[in-house]
Amino acid sequence: MRSSTRVLLAFGTGLMLAGAVAPAWAQEATLTFRFNDPDQEQMRAALDQFEKANPDIKVELERMAWKDARDQFLREAAVSTGPDVVHIAFVWAKEFGEAGAVLPLADSLEQSPPPNGLDDFIAMDLATGNDGSIYALPWTTDTWAMVYRTDLLEEAGIDKLPETWEELKDTSAKIHEATGKSGFMFPAGSSASGTLWFLANYYWWSNGEALVERKEDGSFGMDLTAADVTEAMDYFKSYLDDGEMPTSMLGVSDWADPAIIRGLVEGQNAIGIMPPNTFQAVLDAYAAAHPGEKLPFVSGPVPKGSETRATHLGGRMLAINANTENPEAAWKLVRFLAEEEIFTDYYTTQFPAQRSLLEEIEFAPEMEGYAEQLMHARSWGAYADGPAPIGAMWNAVGRGFGAALSGQRTTAEAGEEVVETVGKMLADGQ
Amino acid sequence: MSGLTSARDAALPADNAPGMGRRRRFWRDPSATEITVVLLLTILVLFGMVYPAIYIFYGSVKVAGGVLADTAGFTFENYVRIFQSGFGQFVVNSLFICITATLISTAVSVSAAYAFSRFVFRGKRLLFGAILFGQMFPWIVLVNPLFVLFARGGLTNSYAGMIFCYVAISIPFSVYMLTGYLATVPKDLDEAAIIDGASRLQIVWRIIFPVMMPGIVATATYAFLLCWTEYLFALAFLTKPDMKTLPLGLYQFFGDDSVDWGAVMAASAVTTLPTLILFLPLQSKLSAGLTAGAVK
Amino acid sequence: MRNDRLFIGLMLAPALLILAAFYGYPMVENVRISFTDLTLLKLKKGGDWVGLENFREFLGGREFGHLLFNTFVWLTALSVVLRLVIGIGIAVLLNSPVLKRFNIATLAKLAILVPWATPPIVAVIVWRWMLDPQNGIINQLLLSLGVIDDPVAFLSDLRTVWPAVVTIIVWNTVPLVTLAILASLQSIPAELHEAAGLDGATRRQQFRYITLPLLRPTIIVLGLTSVFWTFNNFVYVWLATGAGPGTYTNVLATETYIRSFVDFQLGYGAAIGVVMALMMALFGVVYFWIVGNKMAGEEA
Repeated sequence: MRSSTRVLLAFGTGLMLAGAVAPAWAQEATLTFRFNDPDQEQMRAALDQFEKANPDIKVELERMAWKDARDQFLREAAVSTGPDVVHIAFVWAKEFGEAGAVLPLADSLEQSPPPNGLDDFIAMDLATGNDGSIYALPWTTDTWAMVYRTDLLEEAGIDKLPETWEELKDTSAKIHEATGKSGFMFPAGSSASGTLWFLANYYWWSNGEALVERKEDGSFGMDLTAADVTEAMDYFKSYLDDGEMPTSMLGVSDWADPAIIRGLVEGQNAIGIMPPNTFQAVLDAYAAAHPGEKLPFVSGPVPKGSETRATHLGGRMLAINANTENPEAAWKLVRFLAEEEIFTDYYTTQFPAQRSLLEEIEFAPEMEGYAEQLMHARSWGAYADGPAPIGAMWNAVGRGFGAALSGQRTTAEAGEEVVETVGKMLADGQ
Repeated sequence: MSGLTSARDAALPADNAPGMGRRRRFWRDPSATEITVVLLLTILVLFGMVYPAIYIFYGSVKVAGGVLADTAGFTFENYVRIFQSGFGQFVVNSLFICITATLISTAVSVSAAYAFSRFVFRGKRLLFGAILFGQMFPWIVLVNPLFVLFARGGLTNSYAGMIFCYVAISIPFSVYMLTGYLATVPKDLDEAAIIDGASRLQIVWRIIFPVMMPGIVATATYAFLLCWTEYLFALAFLTKPDMKTLPLGLYQFFGDDSVDWGAVMAASAVTTLPTLILFLPLQSKLSAGLTAGAVK
Repeated sequence: MRNDRLFIGLMLAPALLILAAFYGYPMVENVRISFTDLTLLKLKKGGDWVGLENFREFLGGREFGHLLFNTFVWLTALSVVLRLVIGIGIAVLLNSPVLKRFNIATLAKLAILVPWATPPIVAVIVWRWMLDPQNGIINQLLLSLGVIDDPVAFLSDLRTVWPAVVTIIVWNTVPLVTLAILASLQSIPAELHEAAGLDGATRRQQFRYITLPLLRPTIIVLGLTSVFWTFNNFVYVWLATGAGPGTYTNVLATETYIRSFVDFQLGYGAAIGVVMALMMALFGVVYFWIVGNKMAGEEA
């Protein structure tokens, strides 16, 4: 009820604004919005509202799979085509801006700033290019957390969630011993966009290290030694070597792979790590298979290392194509998409990237681990500022871990290779 | 070898009596053992070929999450969902683009193959080799330059662009395939017709075309399926939802964070079905062989 | 004669024009890019000339030998030979008069179409499920037959990953060979076999001396083009294993993809493409020299 009133209000305000701002001679503008998440219908409904409030603007919705979205947009921008407003990952904003593919937003921000100012948005560091221009507006955010099957924990006599990486390993071993099921099961595949990249970085960050760091002289370098990389490899490899996790996981790279979801839903494994929407898919699948039953799942923060516990601050931004013919209309759309109603009424599967809106969210009990972990999430920071594309480092780390975990190389060899490859990328790019 | 060729040439007109030819084909009845072995082997092979597809169909009618959950139940909900998300349009787009491209590419390839197999001319080997050259570069390195070309020519997000693309990628194999078939069709056929005063075009259309039918159908099936399952070019050239083809529609159910397996399986089933329906009337042509009458 | 020349030109022109328009510029452009340091991020500005640097780095790199072996032996040779042998075998089987008598020839041909009509992405997914160690049908079958004692993780075990990938490729591509050979078999007049039979030739001799020589042009075409596709194909390996575990199943085509679109190095990717095209051109020449002369070169 409350929210629908607000929609009406916003709708009315929009109409008034449109009437007041748009001069009588305004041409009808058609915008293309490339929105890559599955919530296409909900977004269409939101855009219909936008079109009603702005009768001179039509918005066409299109979708690109996330895996191809970056290549495709860069290609299009280079020949002056592509959508007007584009949905991008946090870490793409800088590189798109510097490639001249998206518009700097300074003028737009000055003329019609967001209601709570720019400070309300998280991850502004990732939206800002090295030249100081703001190239995108943070839109949604999330982070990863641990998820647990409570019934398997109980069966193994475990009454508290593991705090450290060692405890996670012990818990996992206990569950395997007591139930014969897998404990912690993670996708260990070496595909270029595999999950190991996140796990490796969490492990390093929690021990006060990082793959890429900005040095005092402003240059970028590697903070890790080959031994550090090897240590992380040994840790994750032990799950396979001790038989707690099936070797088939070596062939699984995606955190949302059916093997992961099915494993948790059917109780073949007790512990996982994933973003909130994948966890939601697990909960939904369980609820569908066991209607009316209590969900035997909780989420919890990721383990601590010697220093801290850390995950990455993930999320998506909205940017405007540098070639757009209607920059004002495009900005109007971006502003509209950042309004609260979008997240409460339409695009409800993601958390907004605005602090004021995040505070208002009430997390479901199963999701509390995510709420807690969000406090410990860090920005990619130097990774995105540095000279090497994140995708290339991601690939190198994934390959190295995959080679070590599968036995193609020893962990010592693979650790050295990772340090050498990433070190070269950082050196070459400066 | 030459003896065989002349034997075959001599045999051709005799085959003009289909009834006779058919009866004579079984001049020796297969033994019971042979029947058993052939049938068993066939069933085994067909099972291996079709089983994975049955698995797809099974996944598409499972409740919630496809094969993910071992729940009993049967539902068409996945099909309803994909058609609500515009899958009908993808089917129409794919059918239009692929059928048009197949017709054009087959016509173009038949003529080229005829020229290659029936004439001696300067630069023939070079041209024949050049047709293959397009296949030598991996398509992935061609995607970017092609995209530039298509974008400048206004061919992205258009039927014309996709049809052009699919005609071009299916020509090399089609020309090769058909030249191979034509090598087995005796030239005496052409020569007899020339003596009867037929023009070259008449020969191609009235004589070669019917004799070539099994080869043409096989080649056209190839061209059609190449277009039907292609997604690398479609991915780069088609971004508007109302222009997308089936493989792209299918691909979009693989979001990075969530994969809608029920929809993927239903979409796969929908992708396979039109091919079978289209092929049903065509496949009798495939076996029609020479009975259509080579010299009429 | 002049008429003939005009006719030849008219017959060839459409195919050649379409191919020139489609492949001409992209191929020339690809060669040019291979001498630059172009990246996806520099697409708008253009890359800088680096001469042979990309080629030097690629050909002298640590991975080159590994990539070459994987591409030639595992991906191309094995899958093409299996595809041809199995495809011909199935075609001969389906051409058997027994099937016509029982009226299942049509059904069989439709069934053969099914794997072919399955897009590669779906083929890989379904096989991944079938090969799954926990729930996959293949492991369950092998376990119950007593062939193996423990489930095998086919796509992540270094011993089985290549045979598994090759199986997926062969399943998805064998129908093309089968249907093409079947079409050829059906254009062989029955009288030929009949005459040979009357002369006392056994079935095996008939196959060896009548059927095979007549299938030869088709087999040559299928073999040659299969090699090109498979060699340049990145879809199966990429979707089935992501070139892993580690770099164990990395091939030239996946390396091209990774370099171009994951690492953004379009110049380097283009250089790999040029090397691949040169290898295939060389292969094409040798292939025609050895087996292909019979086909197009006969009268030239």
